Amino acid sequence: MSDVRAQPADLTKWVVTLPPTAFLLFFFLAPALIVVVASFREPGEFGGLAPWPALSLDAFGFLSSDVIYLEIFVRSFFVALLTTLTCIVLAYPLAWLIARSPAKRRDLLVLLVILPFASNFLVRIYAWIMLLGPVGLLYTPFAVIIGMVYVHLPFMILPLYTNLEKHDPALLEAAQDLGANAWTSFWRVTFPLSLPGVFSGSALVFIPVLGMFAVPELLGGTGDILIGNLIKAQFLEDRDWPLGSALSIMLTLAVLALAGAMAWAARRGLHGTEAVT
Amino acid sequence: MKRSTFWLWVASLATYAFLYIPLAVVVLFSFNDSVLNAQWVGFTTRWYAKLMGDGEMLRAAGNSVLIALLSSTIATVLGAMAGLAMHRYHFRFLPLLVLTPVAMPEILLGVSLLLFFRQVLDLTLGFLSILVAHITFSIGFVAVIVRARLAGMDESIFEAARDLGATPWATFSRITLPLILPALVAGFLMSFTLSIDDFVITFFVAGVGVSTLPLQIYSMIKVAVTPEVNAVSTLLMALTLTLIFLASRFAPDVLKGKA
Amino acid sequence: MKHLTWLLLIVLSAARAEDVLHLYNWNNYISDDTLKRFEAHCHCRVKQDYYSDNEEMLAKLEAGAVGYDVIVPTGNAVESLVRRGALRELDKSQLSHIANLKPEFRNLWFDPGNRYSVPYATTVTLVGYNVDKMQALGLPTDTWALIFEPKYLEKIRGRVTVLNSQRELMAAAMKYLGYSVQEKDAAKWEEAKRVILRAKPYWATFSNSTYIKDLAIGNIWVAHGYSNDMYRAREDAKAAHRPFSIGFTTPREGAVLAVDNFVLHKSGQRPDLAHRFIDFMLEGGNAADVSNLIGAGNANTAATPYIRSEIAAEEGLFPPPQTLARLEMLRDFEPKMRRTLARMWTEIKVR
Repeated sequence: MSDVRAQPADLTKWVVTLPPTAFLLFFFLAPALIVVVASFREPGEFGGLAPWPALSLDAFGFLSSDVIYLEIFVRSFFVALLTTLTCIVLAYPLAWLIARSPAKRRDLLVLLVILPFASNFLVRIYAWIMLLGPVGLLYTPFAVIIGMVYVHLPFMILPLYTNLEKHDPALLEAAQDLGANAWTSFWRVTFPLSLPGVFSGSALVFIPVLGMFAVPELLGGTGDILIGNLIKAQFLEDRDWPLGSALSIMLTLAVLALAGAMAWAARRGLHGTEAVT
Repeated sequence: MKRSTFWLWVASLATYAFLYIPLAVVVLFSFNDSVLNAQWVGFTTRWYAKLMGDGEMLRAAGNSVLIALLSSTIATVLGAMAGLAMHRYHFRFLPLLVLTPVAMPEILLGVSLLLFFRQVLDLTLGFLSILVAHITFSIGFVAVIVRARLAGMDESIFEAARDLGATPWATFSRITLPLILPALVAGFLMSFTLSIDDFVITFFVAGVGVSTLPLQIYSMIKVAVTPEVNAVSTLLMALTLTLIFLASRFAPDVLKGKA
Repeated sequence: MKHLTWLLLIVLSAARAEDVLHLYNWNNYISDDTLKRFEAHCHCRVKQDYYSDNEEMLAKLEAGAVGYDVIVPTGNAVESLVRRGALRELDKSQLSHIANLKPEFRNLWFDPGNRYSVPYATTVTLVGYNVDKMQALGLPTDTWALIFEPKYLEKIRGRVTVLNSQRELMAAAMKYLGYSVQEKDAAKWEEAKRVILRAKPYWATFSNSTYIKDLAIGNIWVAHGYSNDMYRAREDAKAAHRPFSIGFTTPREGAVLAVDNFVLHKSGQRPDLAHRFIDFMLEGGNAADVSNLIGAGNANTAATPYIRSEIAAEEGLFPPPQTLARLEMLRDFEPKMRRTLARMWTEIKVR
């Protein structure tokens, strides 16, 4: 008892830190490492993994020997990029409008952005099946982009709005006083200042889109297969877990590289805005 | 200036329309008196009646609610601890461990848990595997909310409590807990919403006989699309809507902070 | 809160104690009527999950789907499950109606002596189409050329779906080329891949189940799919008074015949219910349902008198002998060949 009294702060520290750490080490980090191990194993005759000690670089060899997997990665990045850009274009005016609205109206407008979140994301995809089917646009790349944008748009609007809300209107007035028109002052002042918001919104859209399989599966046509579909197929159709694991690792690396690049870009963006202010 | 404001409104209204029209169509067609549901035939509420008599759907709904309740309760406790730990003690690994599951594409978490449950634990997939998976992806969200709440606070009250001789437990229950309570409620509601809506991760770790609403909806979309899908979607929307509303009452900043 | 937890636990355990048969079945392969009758008969509940491709079912089982009592795999998948040791041997003493099986469906190559499997129904993978559109466009409907030849596809671009099944779609292309679907020469499969890649730009999408609805609505005019699904699309279109009708024909080059069977999975908790279910489904009147209500071919002699004459006369559902001779069943491949074919399939999906 006296021991505990002696170092209550230390005890609290461990009581608070240990449980979540242990849980996540066991159910997040360990599984992630298992994926790495699985990628060096061989597929079992019927699926799953071949018995130990069959270790091989087969899965990675298979991936790298074949330009087709690279193509799918490139295509997935392209779809993610297109989705992100479309989201920026659609989100910007709305975020700006909300940020410039009187405080009272602002909460309502934000709530209106969040409400569509209240529907399950499968429902949001299903909505587009209903809308696009009759006009002959279902099962096209267009349908995939629309579905992706629709599912992720609020993730772009909210960080953008949070950023734009902080801008000082005096800056814009100053720009206009100096003779800039609305367009120029937007490009020279508002947009550079909003870059951190654009970047964090982009990260929130781009990364999930990369791994998405449901949208291409339900809305896409014959050519719309992305990394997510490929990974899912290895586990739930083709019974090739090592290949699926290797693909998962490639995706993880891609996401990490991307997150690093975004953080770097965001820092640079910040410096850029400092220069402007 | 006036002209640019006008165009801003036009663009914004178009975006709002883009957000709402598809969902309005889903709701509207849940009252359509046609199995094929290709065009409007007539008004009916029979799909809701059918839904109420659909044993599988009700069981799936029961599973969804039970899993959401349990997982968000546990995730709130663990997430609050993680949030406190990240705020107070500056372990470098902790934020990484807590936040990575949130930032990764969901499919990666689903695949790794599937492998882990099957190859390492040899666990029969089902209720437990779904529960664990949901806790795993919820902890990070709660932790972020709790940390954000703590960040806005004056550390000196905790020091004052200690100086006045309060035990760590007394400090926690009398001061910290009441202060972070709104964050806990918001975190709980957020995890509940995430759990009840999750499809991707559940899809990988769900076993035989334990279905959830999103899995049921997916199967209906893939296999037999009738207006029953619209009806269940409409009801699920109403439920999540209520939860989001509650979450925004308890912590208005949470929803902005999350994204 | 504590009370609530207890309540939930009680509800949960009550649900566990109930008699439940877990059935893992193709979608659209048993009618609700039949299931309801069985539930009344056994005082139990049937919980059904669906798949739309054997590969999907096998992969799900390997991925840890445990607890299905009865599964309905096609012959090649039965073979693979038997080799895997995943099936429970049937107890014939509990199957009093097993003599009802048609002689030609006993002792099939994938399970000599029917130790593990009881044939349930048959389907042919064929071409379904919008009759009015085909007539208006002057397109032939009795050949795989309709889904593989650009000169025909040009007229129906974006209105065609094919099965999202590596095995089925590649088999159709092999048949179109005049090869066997059990071919082991990778070069011939390469050829099939090229036929598919040439036709792919004209197709709308790969679909395993949504084509039923898309055909009935009119979104799609031609679909590669299972005979029972085409039957369903035709009936749905009729019931909804669509201004066109749906037809289906077995291509003259031959096609894939699927014999789907009831088997018991080892992980099933209720072999007793599973046997009762299979025996129930072997009774003539119940066995007839899969033809009358689902539109599949039948493996049961006792069912014949119950099958409506217009269904029995349907050539797409009950192939006449000269067609039967051109039908072939799929067989499973070993892992290396599987990966090679999976690789071709990925290429098909991506290019």
